[in-house]
Amino acid sequence: MTRLEIRNPVSQVVEHSVKPAPRLQRLDGATIGLYWNMKAGGDAALDRAEQLLHQRFPNTKFKRYTGSVGWVMRHCTAEDADRIASEVHAVVGTTND
Amino acid sequence: MVELERRGIPTVIFTATAFVHDARRSAQSFGLAGLPLAVVPTPLTNQRPEDIHRMAEAAFDEIVAGLTRPVEAFTGGDRPPIDERLVYEGADLLDAWDRMNRDFLARGWSDGFPLVAPTDRAVDAMLAGTARDRGEIIATLEPGFGIATVEKLAISAVMAGCGPEHLPLLIAAVRCLAEPRMYLRNKAMSTGPHAPLVLVNGPKGRLANLNSGMCALGPGGPSASNSVLGRAVRLTMMNVGHTYVGVSDMDTIGSPLKYSLCCAENEAASPWEPYHVTRGYAREASTVTVHFVYGICELHDFKSTTPEHLAEVFATAATNVAQVGTGLWLVGRRADPRYKTEEKEHNTLLICPEHAQIFAREGWGRARIQDALYKAARVPFRTLTLNKEPKAMAIAHPELGWLADHPDLPVPVVESPDCFDIAVVGGAAGRGAYFYGAGEPVTVPVED
Repeated sequence: MTRLEIRNPVSQVVEHSVKPAPRLQRLDGATIGLYWNMKAGGDAALDRAEQLLHQRFPNTKFKRYTGSVGWVMRHCTAEDADRIASEVHAVVGTTND
Repeated sequence: MVELERRGIPTVIFTATAFVHDARRSAQSFGLAGLPLAVVPTPLTNQRPEDIHRMAEAAFDEIVAGLTRPVEAFTGGDRPPIDERLVYEGADLLDAWDRMNRDFLARGWSDGFPLVAPTDRAVDAMLAGTARDRGEIIATLEPGFGIATVEKLAISAVMAGCGPEHLPLLIAAVRCLAEPRMYLRNKAMSTGPHAPLVLVNGPKGRLANLNSGMCALGPGGPSASNSVLGRAVRLTMMNVGHTYVGVSDMDTIGSPLKYSLCCAENEAASPWEPYHVTRGYAREASTVTVHFVYGICELHDFKSTTPEHLAEVFATAATNVAQVGTGLWLVGRRADPRYKTEEKEHNTLLICPEHAQIFAREGWGRARIQDALYKAARVPFRTLTLNKEPKAMAIAHPELGWLADHPDLPVPVVESPDCFDIAVVGGAAGRGAYFYGAGEPVTVPVED
């Protein structure tokens, strides 16, 4: 057998780590942010999510958001994230396809 | 969503089944692999509201669970260490090389064509093309936050078929990719066919045998350097930036331009100052420009003999509304909130020398062509917004709400005249290329 020894092309990566937020004990009475990044259809999904959450948890309140920058995808700035975090207890989003 | 989790806010996001792997990988790159998802069977785009409602209903339990059930923190321990050396055995060297290529395909490390084996000897020979230390970090490349050492770039260059003379050009291209204003993450991961168009200016491109003339963007011996350099950029995006199809490159249909797209400007045949001079560099400097583009349209005209007529023909290429960037300025600007960058949507025109001479002999420079294109490339508002989200336009340009009452009014397809970048490329005959761009080009000097 003949050996071919080569260098691995794959790079090392910079690892990031974020501690997940503590989850809510209960949703009833919470204020839920509904974040739409403006991709088509996301608003309809959030509309239905709001209706369903309200049906099951009648005392839940809602606030709508989108990012303050961007184009077909609107993104949250750090300031947007700070503001949302100060106004709601949890967020349901449509940010992916 | 990760930024909200960082701030102590639990989140859950709707994600289509086909994008779950992408979402998980993306969340992992940002440090929270377990970010909760509410999975729906198809993307929400192009769906009727009633169908979206049904999908949201089916995912409702995941929404509740995502906000109320504990999420595991990412420890980084599930990523195996990289073995820097790989060994393939075969009946002979050719057989071992064939096994290497098949393994690379299986791992997703290949662009699909056979790769040159990055042996120690080949990599060492490649590194002779730069004065930099092999361990020097050129950049960290998104979307995977891969560490682009000189050595890893040399490995990509070897695999692509480059010679040492190409390595400084590849390093410059990678610096372009890593510029925050490039917003590489968006272009690498998108469902759109973003291809890095690499344009080389200056003497180092000529030394590296970059073709600027006949069939500069095509196959064949004269463009061999173009082909391998462009290929090395793609392989670097894959194995250094971790842009992998189906994992972190969610391109819906793809594009042959993504394999390799590279040329030099034909400075000798250009009546104007070289492109890189318009970008603020000295004429004698060598530069690499990278502009992500979606697609290409021929700029064919054998008939026109005046600049006005030629510009009118060229402008028709810019009015293709099925191309995502056309009129995109109406809904905002490509923006990366992490770096507070914003990009206008640019398009690159590679004008052939004959057409350039028609403009130049009447005293037209780039600025006048840009202005003429800006005035001629207009589309009725109704047509331009056929595929635009009205709510996005209302946020981006509330001052333009009056346009809705004037659907037939012609509206510019780009934000400003400087959104047309112009370089001279090609051989004889009146045929150039119009590239529909994604965001703005980035230019950096080539350094050894």
